Amino acid sequence: MAIGNRKSAIYAAAALLSLLGLTDAIYLTVEHVTGQSVRCTIVAGCSEVLSSSYAVVAGIPLAMIGAAAYFTVFSLATLAAFGYRVAGTLLTALIVAMFLVSLWLIYLQAFVIRAFCQFCLLSAAVTFLLLVVILMARRVKSV
Amino acid sequence: MKRLLPFIIILVVLGVALCSAWYLTRSIPASTTVVGSQPGSPSPQRAQTAGSQAAAGQAVANPGAPGAEPAHVLGPATAPAHLEEFGDFECPPCGAFHPILEEMHKEFGDRMQITFREFPLVPAHQHALAAASAAEAAGMQGKFWEMHDLLYERQKIWKTEFDVRPVFEGYAKEIGIDVERYKRDVSSDAVALRIQKDGSRGHSLGVKGTPTVFLNGREVPFESLPAEQLRVIIQREIEGKK
Repeated sequence: MAIGNRKSAIYAAAALLSLLGLTDAIYLTVEHVTGQSVRCTIVAGCSEVLSSSYAVVAGIPLAMIGAAAYFTVFSLATLAAFGYRVAGTLLTALIVAMFLVSLWLIYLQAFVIRAFCQFCLLSAAVTFLLLVVILMARRVKSV
Repeated sequence: MKRLLPFIIILVVLGVALCSAWYLTRSIPASTTVVGSQPGSPSPQRAQTAGSQAAAGQAVANPGAPGAEPAHVLGPATAPAHLEEFGDFECPPCGAFHPILEEMHKEFGDRMQITFREFPLVPAHQHALAAASAAEAAGMQGKFWEMHDLLYERQKIWKTEFDVRPVFEGYAKEIGIDVERYKRDVSSDAVALRIQKDGSRGHSLGVKGTPTVFLNGREVPFESLPAEQLRVIIQREIEGKK
């Protein structure tokens, strides 16, 4: 397979992965907006995490910011898959930033809120996988 | 065409994402509330979902399975508004709802009857069952509401404890009940059965989280539980019974 095709396939994989993160973030945003996330449920941790002060940044639900970030990842990955080189560079920077934010959020859940929300962990897992995928794309470039 | 294709894909995904969010925002409150048609004009919160709730409003309220008897009630049975709360003492939103309900009780007095039902979310909350048992054991000595109030007011203190038994025994002493009898009652079958019956009632009514509040048999949407909205709903219910 040509290097260009391999890179496009990797970016396409990143785009598909970001759709999973986007779905998760949309669900969390809707839960937040409708007030459902604030209620305690049989699922441990989510209400504690989503009703904490860390779930909102400057009046905007963090999940909504996450949804916007995943949509941007999808857009950049799609453009990169079609050969837009600048998009690839921006994508790497965005995913690294998202990964760092995810690490911070996991720290908050583990040591400050002391409760884990599985939907937030799913988002962190998707971001980690995106980082792996994007690093693979960078490796292909250096071959 | 190939140059446009990525932008078309992006726009399609954006459209699907926005439509999904819009659909979920409308469908979630409608599916979790059984608010009936109320006299008077709807509150802004209700107006938001009034269309989708029109059909549900005609539905007869589900009486549900019987809970523990006698139930823990405040206020007369003849009150025009009967509020039933399914709560979990370890749940933070329930703790936040506690002062709101106290405020409503003071405000409406004999015009409202409040019933508390145990709905400990196990295993989500590690001490929820112990707290429910403590309240029920206090109830065996006629001091349910005193223990109920203490558990909610000091929720942040005891929820992080490893062993809550000595803490709750301290509360039992504080509210002036026989601690030795409390220790026997807290692990008794009678207390376990009361919690189980309240839980069964909750499940039969479709309760999935806490706090879940019913007013005259109809569920109050979670977003309507802040004091200013709940006050309007209770007032409307009382006026409707005149």
